[in-house]
Amino acid sequence: MSNANIIIEATDRTPQLQVLFDQGELRVKGESYPEDVATFYGPVIEAVRQLTASCAEISANFELIYVNSSSMKALYRIFEVLQQKKTEGGVITIAWKFEEDDDVMQELGEDFQDRFPELTFLMTTL
Amino acid sequence: MAFDLFAKENDLLQAAHNVFASGSHEDVLAYAQRLVSQLAESMQDNQHLTRHSDRQQKKLVDFNHNLKTQAVELEKQRKSFEDLSQKLGKYLSPQVHDAIFSGRQDVQITTRRKKMTVFFSDIRSFTSTSESLQPEALTIYLNEYFSLLTRVALKYGATIDKYIGDAMMVFFGDPDSKGEQEDAWSCVAMAMEMQEELAQLKAAWRRRGFVDPFQTRMGINTGYCNVGNFGSDQRLTYTIIGAEVNVAARIEAEADPDGILISHETYAHVADHVRVEPRPPVILKGISRPIQTYAILGRSETLTSPVQIQISTAAGAAVDSQAVDVTDDMRQQIVKELRTLLQRFEHSAVQP
Repeated sequence: MSNANIIIEATDRTPQLQVLFDQGELRVKGESYPEDVATFYGPVIEAVRQLTASCAEISANFELIYVNSSSMKALYRIFEVLQQKKTEGGVITIAWKFEEDDDVMQELGEDFQDRFPELTFLMTTL
Repeated sequence: MAFDLFAKENDLLQAAHNVFASGSHEDVLAYAQRLVSQLAESMQDNQHLTRHSDRQQKKLVDFNHNLKTQAVELEKQRKSFEDLSQKLGKYLSPQVHDAIFSGRQDVQITTRRKKMTVFFSDIRSFTSTSESLQPEALTIYLNEYFSLLTRVALKYGATIDKYIGDAMMVFFGDPDSKGEQEDAWSCVAMAMEMQEELAQLKAAWRRRGFVDPFQTRMGINTGYCNVGNFGSDQRLTYTIIGAEVNVAARIEAEADPDGILISHETYAHVADHVRVEPRPPVILKGISRPIQTYAILGRSETLTSPVQIQISTAAGAAVDSQAVDVTDDMRQQIVKELRTLLQRFEHSAVQP
């Protein structure tokens, strides 16, 4: 049974989030400082696990403006799942997009690259 | 099970109990290796988290600083705009200034036709009077003169149209109006108060040596005029035009020195408030119909306060007749008092 696509619209404190099983895509866009990170990201991480279970090739696009510390922890969990899939032979493409003058988001992408050396982060300015 | 951000760390801690309980050396060694690996990973995570948090903190501080700087700059601009507005406002009638800045009045070239009451004043024989004065003195007297007229005009809600040399034009009915009748009465009452205050000002001038002060003629007419913004996109003037404006100007030229002459249309609105002396109809140049005019004698109510007559002791002693507005009985009483005063002066060389 195929999974239904998950589309979560952005709010003041949470990003727009899409887990597209039919396209093998994960898209995260906006600001992330949810009141309860477990409630917001728990199902997302589970959905990413299901995405890696059902798709051999996965494309992950991140276009974030602001990420608080607990959201960063949640992103670690997501990248751990993707890194595990890479180790198992999956094809993982990660696009890390940020505004040209946003050095905070640029350095965050570089930190994630350091933390997850098996994954390749394509750094792109908007 | 609810998502736990620290699931890995908690799992590792939980595993410690089982490992120590097992007592197995190999288990403990394997656990120690897992622990070190997890610790290294956690340290790296903490470093990243701390650095990211510091960067965002700095960004927020810089943003806040910029906001404060912008707020200070905006406040300066607001103050500058306010100062500029007040300076420009001096070149506009206060009502027009307020109407523009409140959005009630637009600055397009638009006019409307309304019933207005128009007032003109000028100084009789200004040219010859001004030649007899030093320029500095003339400036001082003119400023005091126009300050008085302007203050009284604003007190009565007049829209000051313009000053032309020694002449002044104001009108009632736009942008604010209390209705045709009230506007007409406000204008006439304004003119009467102007003449009353001018009489006091002239007495003060005589004491300062201005022996033959300005005599002001005033003319008022009520009628339909076109009022609004005239001119071009680059330069506008807010004024009124029309034949009735010209009538007001011509009536003013026919007024007595220190007198107020009003048209029949104006009189019709204020008849209950004033005593007038009808004047023979005049044919005004350029106006086809004869204009019936009325000279204002005073308010309808009889004076109850004592009459004050000011006699200057400087050269050119004069009784300021405009301060006297009395019934026949009172006039006879004043003549009697003056005769008594005259006798006292004639029979006493030193003291009255």
